[in-house]
Amino acid sequence: MALVDLRHVRFRYTGSDSYALNDVSLSAERGEFILLVGPSGCGKSTLLRVLNGLVPHFYEGEFEGEAKVAGLDVRSTPTHVLARHVGVVFQDPENQLFLSSVEREIAFGLENLGLPRSEVKRRVREVLKEFNLESIKEKAPYELSGGQQQKVAIASVMALEPEILALDEPTANLDPLSALEVLTLVNRLVKEKGVLAFVVEHRLEIALRFTTRMIVMLKGCVAADGGPREVLLKAGKVVGYPPVMLVHVLLKRKGLVGDGVPLTCEELAEEVIAKWAMRYS
Amino acid sequence: MGDAILVEDVHFSYEGVPALRGVSLTIRTGEVLAIMGENGAGKTTLVKHFVGLLKPERGRVLVFGTDTRDASVAQLARRVGLVFQNPDHQLFAESVEGEVLFTLKNMGYPPDKARAICDSILKLFELDRYKDRSPYSLSIGERKRLAIAAVVSYNPDVLVLDEPTAGQDFFNKSKISKLIFKLRMQGKGVVIVTHDVEFASQVADRVVLMAEGRVIREGGAKDVLTDAEALRHARLVLPQIPATAAILEAEGVSLPSKPLLPGTLYLELLELLNHR
Amino acid sequence: MSKVLDIFRFRRKRTLLHELDPRAKFAMLMALSAASLALSDGVSLAVLLVVEVVLLAVAKALREWGRSLTGLSTLLILIFVLNYLTLPADRLFTATAMALRFLCLTTAFSIFFLTTTADELAAALEVSGVPREYSMMFTMSLRFVPSLARDMQTVVDALRSRGLELEKGGLRERLRNYTYLLVPLIVFELKRSLMVAEALEARGFGAVKKVEPYIELTFKAKDYVVVITSALALLAVAWVLLSGTYSAFIAWLRGIFPRI
Repeated sequence: MALVDLRHVRFRYTGSDSYALNDVSLSAERGEFILLVGPSGCGKSTLLRVLNGLVPHFYEGEFEGEAKVAGLDVRSTPTHVLARHVGVVFQDPENQLFLSSVEREIAFGLENLGLPRSEVKRRVREVLKEFNLESIKEKAPYELSGGQQQKVAIASVMALEPEILALDEPTANLDPLSALEVLTLVNRLVKEKGVLAFVVEHRLEIALRFTTRMIVMLKGCVAADGGPREVLLKAGKVVGYPPVMLVHVLLKRKGLVGDGVPLTCEELAEEVIAKWAMRYS
Repeated sequence: MGDAILVEDVHFSYEGVPALRGVSLTIRTGEVLAIMGENGAGKTTLVKHFVGLLKPERGRVLVFGTDTRDASVAQLARRVGLVFQNPDHQLFAESVEGEVLFTLKNMGYPPDKARAICDSILKLFELDRYKDRSPYSLSIGERKRLAIAAVVSYNPDVLVLDEPTAGQDFFNKSKISKLIFKLRMQGKGVVIVTHDVEFASQVADRVVLMAEGRVIREGGAKDVLTDAEALRHARLVLPQIPATAAILEAEGVSLPSKPLLPGTLYLELLELLNHR
Repeated sequence: MSKVLDIFRFRRKRTLLHELDPRAKFAMLMALSAASLALSDGVSLAVLLVVEVVLLAVAKALREWGRSLTGLSTLLILIFVLNYLTLPADRLFTATAMALRFLCLTTAFSIFFLTTTADELAAALEVSGVPREYSMMFTMSLRFVPSLARDMQTVVDALRSRGLELEKGGLRERLRNYTYLLVPLIVFELKRSLMVAEALEARGFGAVKKVEPYIELTFKAKDYVVVITSALALLAVAWVLLSGTYSAFIAWLRGIFPRI
């Protein structure tokens, strides 16, 4: 059975006229880096919150359809149980780091599960080492840079060892280098631990290099779902083409390049070099 | 086009921690300037000096010839409009049109004139259908547009936007860049504080890079945003087009210039690949 | 404004006071507060203040306290002046005493908050039997004080940039202008609390009723010393009040004090 299995999910927030999720079906497995995009209000944040049950437990409304995460039915499983399988990282680091040291922050989720102190201490040590946070373990969150804060947030949810990691615009307030570091960390977790990552992002240029699958949402529906290249060709007008893709599309019209759609600078450069070498060989 | 804001060797500290260490630059009308750098480099601190919210400890800031220490924030704000990053910090009225009217009233416009301006501004920003609704019932992109609309409504000579594209989707980013072009065409000065290198490459005429409270590089967008070394020093990355050109260069494929925009790269590659 | 809030913000240092168990410090706080309220003459309160300043010096927190004094000074003067103007007799005597009492109380609290982290406080509360939701509520409020101060500053900046002159005008106009602050600030903080609640849920908060706090609080020798001293001090205060000696002392003091 799929790790995430949504079938014909519809959801309307209490007091709202329209459906935030309008017949969404998708399934996802371990080891995927899914980029979830779409204009504001398309439902991507709502979809993310279905994964750990914030919808419909925290955000009330009418929920239809089936949603199973790690074999558990979202509608009947409380969020704190789902939290062991789905770690959610939000956009604003300030509102998700509550405690006065990094070490304490990582212990928080484990503490909440009621684990004995010795077990919590052991896991905290492991996480600090794994995420390279030992040097800052006593620092308070407000003393850290935005990028470091998001890394701490990721480490704190990963301490519970979830199979799924959901991130809601994690790099919105970060500078490009920090954004790259954060997404590289997520990618490492996907590749090395087989985590299933759902990343909601607007900054395609940074996220595309890690994306294995792209889902575009529009007005509560899934408008496109597949490999990033095909999805961009199909839905680029809505989400914006990365600059390298624009160049490719223009060159393709003149018949100067082949079909492979570049997502990164390296790919476009490769394409150009190959063609250039051919002409000069 | 003329000099609007002159920043002369400004030093400023927050509780003993230096935030600006001798910054000098010029803001001109009819030009789009991007002030870029990582969070904490001093960008927002600097732009707060443009309306006198902060006064320099050393050095001075002249806004259309007036030293900011000799004028009130309200007086300076009449010529320099500042839009903060988070729209929720700056929505004060009960309705969308009330927001614009509130600003116009503070800036001294009589009620009938204010109403006329309000109607046309809301139409321009595609917010007229929401005019009686509470600002907080709008989506995040619409709230951002409203904050910008309220400031643009009183026609300041310079518009300063702090991180206009942070968290915005593609549609809203396009709308914002269209607005910026329009304002430049009208002869206004536009300053964007941002770390979005792609957006800056699309709209900026000139770019100032800041790191640790200092200006480390300044020049035309084309020169600065293709300078990998300087960008790295400011904790930024090359935009995709110059990054591609840099890779090609490293592999021995020379291009006639350092392209910044997709169109330019396309034309140069066209030349390259068609050349017999 | 933020200067006043400074005395409640924890600063990490390695001093005796920082290393005490928060429950011991709480006992000390109770003793100091009781003494501040029980004593009612300027001389004894001045002595108490000196004791507190010594404690602050031990905690290496004198600078933060000094900074906040500038913010507190208006309140201090207000208390002094109000007492001076409204009392029938012995005005100087009582006014100085009241002002000193206020200072002693706030200083006692700042000693506590400057040397105790919000988490230590939460751990102390939980270990003492307070349910997790309540201790969390308390520490969250503390934790978000600097954020609130920052947001307030940003909203004030935004208002001023829209041409609202907050410094000008009569009292009524100024008050009205400040009400424009309220809506965005309240909405912002409500949104923030929603986001924090979401994040708490997402981290499994509420999964288990009783939690073993990460921070281990154990009473060491020095903590016992502090608690016993505080208890003795409280007893001394009680004795001083109940026996006649204090009232006699006050009468004598009033006698030699200038009668104004």
